[in-house]
Amino acid sequence: MIQHFPILSIMSLFLGSFLIVIFGGKNRFIRNSLAVLFSAIPLVLICCLIKPILIDGEIFSYWMGDWEPVSGFAIGIGLEVDALSLFFALLVVLTIFLAAVFSLKYMSRDDALDKYYTLFLMLGGGVLGLVLSGDLFNMYIMVEILTFASVALTAFRNWGKGSLEAAFKYLVVGSIGSAFILTGVILIYAQVHTLSLAQISALLATEGLTPATIFGFALLFAGYATKAYIVPFHPVAADAYMTAPSSISMVFSGMVNKAGIYGMIRLVYMVFQAMSQSAMQYIIVILGCLTMFIGVTMALSQHDFKRLLAFHSISQIGYVLTAVGLATALGISGGLYHALNHTLFKGLLFLCAGAVFYSVGSTDLDKLGGLAKKMPQTTIIFLIGAFSISGLPPFNGFMSKWMIYQAAYEKAALEGSFFYALVTIVGLLVSVLTLASFIKVTQSVFFGQLAPGCEKAKEVPFSMRWPMWLMAILCVLTGLFPGFVNRYLVVPASAAAIDTTGYIDAMMGAGYGQQLGLSPETALSLEYELTGYWDPIAWLVLFVVLLAGLMISLGLGKASRGPVRRPVPADPKYDTFFGGEASQHSHVGGSDLFWGLKHNLRHYFRFMHSMHSGVVNDYALWTVAGTAVIILFMILFL
Amino acid sequence: MQILLDLFYVLIFPGFLFCAVVGLLLAGIDRKIVARMQKRMGPPIVQPFYDFFKLLGKETIIPHAASRGVFIAAPLLGLVSLVVMALFIPVFGFTAFSGVADLIVILYLLTIPAAAIIVGGAASGSPYAGVGISREMVAIVAYELPLIIVLLTVGKKAALDGGITFSFTEIQAYQAEFGSMLSHWSMIPAAVAMLLVIPSEVGSHPFDVAEAETEICEGPLVEYSGSLLGIYKLNHAIKMFILTALFAALFLGGAGSGILIVDVLLLLLICTVVTILSMSLPHAISARLKVEKMFKFYWTLVTVLAVISLVLVWMGF
Repeated sequence: MIQHFPILSIMSLFLGSFLIVIFGGKNRFIRNSLAVLFSAIPLVLICCLIKPILIDGEIFSYWMGDWEPVSGFAIGIGLEVDALSLFFALLVVLTIFLAAVFSLKYMSRDDALDKYYTLFLMLGGGVLGLVLSGDLFNMYIMVEILTFASVALTAFRNWGKGSLEAAFKYLVVGSIGSAFILTGVILIYAQVHTLSLAQISALLATEGLTPATIFGFALLFAGYATKAYIVPFHPVAADAYMTAPSSISMVFSGMVNKAGIYGMIRLVYMVFQAMSQSAMQYIIVILGCLTMFIGVTMALSQHDFKRLLAFHSISQIGYVLTAVGLATALGISGGLYHALNHTLFKGLLFLCAGAVFYSVGSTDLDKLGGLAKKMPQTTIIFLIGAFSISGLPPFNGFMSKWMIYQAAYEKAALEGSFFYALVTIVGLLVSVLTLASFIKVTQSVFFGQLAPGCEKAKEVPFSMRWPMWLMAILCVLTGLFPGFVNRYLVVPASAAAIDTTGYIDAMMGAGYGQQLGLSPETALSLEYELTGYWDPIAWLVLFVVLLAGLMISLGLGKASRGPVRRPVPADPKYDTFFGGEASQHSHVGGSDLFWGLKHNLRHYFRFMHSMHSGVVNDYALWTVAGTAVIILFMILFL
Repeated sequence: MQILLDLFYVLIFPGFLFCAVVGLLLAGIDRKIVARMQKRMGPPIVQPFYDFFKLLGKETIIPHAASRGVFIAAPLLGLVSLVVMALFIPVFGFTAFSGVADLIVILYLLTIPAAAIIVGGAASGSPYAGVGISREMVAIVAYELPLIIVLLTVGKKAALDGGITFSFTEIQAYQAEFGSMLSHWSMIPAAVAMLLVIPSEVGSHPFDVAEAETEICEGPLVEYSGSLLGIYKLNHAIKMFILTALFAALFLGGAGSGILIVDVLLLLLICTVVTILSMSLPHAISARLKVEKMFKFYWTLVTVLAVISLVLVWMGF
């Protein structure tokens, strides 16, 4: 029974979306319960797989319609679930379920919700199908499904400013990416006459890479990079994340770009086994560094809450990519850990943006302010998310970033390459800039003066709050118990990522690789030693002890009297002015908060602004040009 | 017994009490030296203690526009995270809790007090605080780049077999065997860069753009009063101690004498000298920098100094 769980979980998402088309149009209750039910089923089914796959280390292979390989040739379509697939599948099902619950209330003021949930479950099914698939063409199909569902969902609030434009941009760039993937699949199929990932991997390993397969590989790589929104394919993401409803932005950033990352990891480590070559490591790390730096600097100059989060999403994916590109055991583990953390804290932050939008009706940083008094719980949740993403100890973002820095600097020492030392510096710097830009959001949205228009804001209802709280708690727990997360989630997944032989044998029958002359050893060992140490629990205990001691001593001193509170009369003379002008006109508003920094780097910022022109032609050109560079690089150096 | 010893570490030495007393003393010395350099008498060295206890007795006003909980919690969290940091920084051979936090963790822990000032200032709802936190943020970004490079340089230099290390224990072991970092000529530019980073990390005079009491009324602290302000002043003093002690651990470390009391006295001596060199001297001789000038200063001159050391160390010197 349990071997059917992967396909059942994919099917339940698609089935749910079809059932909502049929039954969900009339009755609100039926629609909502269908949406929650069919997003909860995959969560349960995938969680059942944790024991056999992540803990016992089995690999599930499943031939649809029982079309098993005939004389060593895969003709059917297969699902293959190893620890890496399951790791990403867990992120997907968790995101879908929480987003569905959050949507119930959050989307309740929109109409045509049956179409929303249909597309939503379709998107979920697409991503889940992609990460569980063991077939190159099937992955392409799923990419198409998720791209078009994403486009439609981006335009869902088509009354909003720019949403149709964003959807159009997404459509153009996404289609270019899909076309690259399809072309890549065709080229690979023409070379090896099979579409099963395991068999392609075995055949390419024995026959070696030819220029034609490298060309196909480069196209696939660029195609999945488009889906992960790495630089230079990123500008559409900013528009799409901003205009889509927040629950969808959370899904985009929590799992859709993870699908792209999953595709890239699968391709470079497993199918093409290219990570042992230093040229491949260089290009991935360079792309990753560019992504994290450009993402965070663009985020510094945003006026919109969600657009700012979108650029951070791009930037954090850069961390994941850099770490994965290091091709060391610690690097892969750090990258996957960061992927997990990114899903948690970025989903959380998008939900906070959604909560603010729900209460106030705007996500413009210049129009918001002082919401901490009106929405105290959302503020706390937001602060947890912001501290996590900026990597303040002991939250989860710190743990994964810490692993990534060590991996990068160790790699530098190992190879004697100064380049990787620079990568470490960039990583640490981007983290500070992330903190800076979240301080800006905190100041502009939650603290500061209560902005006009925010007076009537209320805390969001419980059904929206509990998914947020759940993710906030997970952020803290994954930060406090890195040993647990590493042992049961990250290390099995990283081991699976590099265990090519196991993957091939599970799908094609034991010993298949050896028949073709593959050696059974894996390219990398998963043993790593940390060069530093970090014990979050000990830190937290010390912190709490000291805080308690301090509270007691202060409490004794101050017990006699409370602070004085006087009412402030409503009179303009009590308004706050700064340098002769009202505070909203002074240089403390959203975009000018970093004047000192932006003034010094004005040439860089001007250049970046001119590059992010907002014209879809430019973005399409970037996509094609970026792909051309990747192809050229790979053909020359691989 | 172990619990009692740990409690002693946390609350007395090298934890809360020790940090507070030494920090306030350093602040007093700093004020006295600056005054003497400017041909003033200056306050007595224990003046910061008087100020602190006076502030504890004053009324605490919480502004109407402030977000109450965060406004009160921010200085406390800053204080606690600072004191916890002191437990991880080695005093020559002695570390209260080794194996908890390494160099990179310390780098990040150092941002927590700064974040606490910013969040507390933001929560006060004052526009002066708004200006202050924007400057504080730019200052953090400014000094963090050279600080990162300095720490990575030390991490490379202290590793023995061509690898890297972020562990304080290994850094001390290296210095015990090969002499302190400062005695290696390739590390001198990094040490100078670190000396220049300390005043802006502490927020002392030429780099106190965020607080700038003559322009923006102490920025983030403008609405703070009474005991909460006192805690901020204490944070400032403890930060002086933490950073000078960090400098001592990174650049002037070693085996020490083996007798704890002597080591501590030696550490205090180093802290005082570093305070005078890196904080009092620039304070007395220069006027406050504008925020964009400060940013430029750190990202050009100081960063170049740190990079020189990094490159030299990577070349094997």
